[in-house]
Amino acid sequence: MRQFVRDNQVGMALIISALLFAVNIAINPASLNANTFGSIIALTLLLSFASAGQTLIMITGGIDLSVGAVMSMAAIFTANTMAGQEGQMPLVIAQVVPMALIVGLVNGVGVVKLKLPAMVITMCVSNVVTRLQYVYTQGLPTGTTSKFFTMTLQHRFFGFIPGMTLYGIVIFGIVLYILNRSRYGQQLFLTGNNRNAAYLAGVRSDMVEILAYVLGSLLAGIAGIIGAGYMNFVICQSLDSYTMMSIVAVVVGGTLLIGGKGSYLGTAVGSLLIIVLSNCLAVLNSSDAVRSVIMGGVLILLLAVYNKEKPIRQ
Amino acid sequence: MDRPDLKMINRFESFRRSPAFTGFVLFSLVLILNIALQGPDRFFTASNFGLLLEKNTPLILVTMAQAMLMLLGMIDISIGVQLSLVNVIAIMLPQELGVPWPVAWLAGVLAVMTISAVNGFFVAYMRIPSLLSSFAMIYIVKGINVIIMSKPQGTVPEIVWRTYASEIGGVIPVTFVIITVLFLLWIYLKKTTYIKHVYAVGGNERNAYASGINPARVKMKAFLIAGFITGIAGLCLTAMSGAGNPLMGEAYGLKSIAACILGGIALSGGWGTMSCALFGSGFLVMIQSSVYYLFKHLYVWIPGFQVTTYWQNLVSDGIILLGLVATIFTAQTQRAAFKTGLKKQLKGGERLGE
Repeated sequence: MRQFVRDNQVGMALIISALLFAVNIAINPASLNANTFGSIIALTLLLSFASAGQTLIMITGGIDLSVGAVMSMAAIFTANTMAGQEGQMPLVIAQVVPMALIVGLVNGVGVVKLKLPAMVITMCVSNVVTRLQYVYTQGLPTGTTSKFFTMTLQHRFFGFIPGMTLYGIVIFGIVLYILNRSRYGQQLFLTGNNRNAAYLAGVRSDMVEILAYVLGSLLAGIAGIIGAGYMNFVICQSLDSYTMMSIVAVVVGGTLLIGGKGSYLGTAVGSLLIIVLSNCLAVLNSSDAVRSVIMGGVLILLLAVYNKEKPIRQ
Repeated sequence: MDRPDLKMINRFESFRRSPAFTGFVLFSLVLILNIALQGPDRFFTASNFGLLLEKNTPLILVTMAQAMLMLLGMIDISIGVQLSLVNVIAIMLPQELGVPWPVAWLAGVLAVMTISAVNGFFVAYMRIPSLLSSFAMIYIVKGINVIIMSKPQGTVPEIVWRTYASEIGGVIPVTFVIITVLFLLWIYLKKTTYIKHVYAVGGNERNAYASGINPARVKMKAFLIAGFITGIAGLCLTAMSGAGNPLMGEAYGLKSIAACILGGIALSGGWGTMSCALFGSGFLVMIQSSVYYLFKHLYVWIPGFQVTTYWQNLVSDGIILLGLVATIFTAQTQRAAFKTGLKKQLKGGERLGE
């Protein structure tokens, strides 16, 4: 049993999500319908898009706290530029991509070249991006996403499969290709496992790591566009909670914080667990403050079980 | 051989190789910039020093707390929300339960020491990396803060903020006394064996363990000391603002880390002193005040120049980012000093032949 808990992290996550969902149904039997399934699938997909970049970065042994801020910024750009009209998508992408590139570059260079702790520099960048949102919108973002774009995300096939699945197939395909099939993925795992060994084996580990941060920001930007389309309302910092959720999702999914090990499918399962958990908390009518305490507690618990450092005696 | 000039040169040399040197240079540079922007006649007044210290004592104290941890190679990001916890408890206990305020303030300090001890337990005994465990603590403590006090409210007894902002004999600000007392605490600590253990564990945990030090206990004590200093900082913040706000202190977490790094404390631990923390926080304080006076000048020079609070927030956060990026220079000079030190070690005896 203990062996199973230790070695089969993804399986454990699936079991716990099923249990939580059962509790959820037991508390509120009326929530057992196609709509609940649909929204759980959609939110899980959205969170796994947001965590895609986090997975890449955590495999190198870093962490990115600017995910939520980049997503919120992208969402604001999306709503502001589209303003309810069709055919503005290229313009939105032309705004979001450079923004994400700059954020990713600052993060990557700060971590790799300046040797600052990833957490400190990304948190600092995240604060600056958040302040920029207020400067850009004067505190009151306007606009809505286009009807067609929102429809492609919210439409339910067979009553419960959300349209977001189509986006999901593309993004999962890309991320899984990067991690498991491409040369870059191999180099990423090598760098995360042992930087010096990777360097000696001819991997340009600095470039690999910086690129991971850039890709991470880009994926967060895309997740922000999709998030804006799905939620269809925008305020400053609207998607900030995704920072914490993405970290927890990646850790649940079996990615090691010291780097070198991890999988994107595990992250997706982790996302499912987080969404079911927050669904459960919503059913229990808990306030934001209580939710924040519980999220912090869950992270500490996970870290204590799966991400301990080696004892000093060894 | 007792020549005073040689003595001076030697003293300067040893200061140049000390951890605090880069922080001192940075601090002096912005100090000169600030004096130039504000005007020397207005800078060198007792009231100006009093005001500067009054507004920035929480930052200086929090940086000292962070420095204590960073000497061991640990970082506590949640130190900012811990400040708010003191604030919230010190305001809400008298207001809701009628507890006399000195008891409530003591309870606030104790609460932060408890939170710090819990964090220390996770780091020292559960072996969770300090950054991650304190990141999780941010959410927990912030949640507790909001549960206790849902929106900004409350007041502080008048005698408290009057005393806090006053000057003893019209010259020495009370805040200066607080900082001095805590610095004396550090000077006392420096004479104990405990601080030797801190440097040993910060330098190399395994070697320290091999030579009979218990790293977990050393870390735990450091967290308790840091918690105590944070508690005092939280009280200063409460006295300064004179009101309660559950989300006020959050920015202090990053600021204290930036100040420590700027002051020249090594992130890996084992390198740095409390003077580094003072210079680093002084650098941040001076640069913030310089930006304030720069904006003031801009209002005069450019007619119709208008800045919203959003811009000011952006600038102050941007400065922390720039400060962190600027550490690349301090790191380089440190590396150079380290290299020359190493060379001297290797060549040995060369200085004796002078």
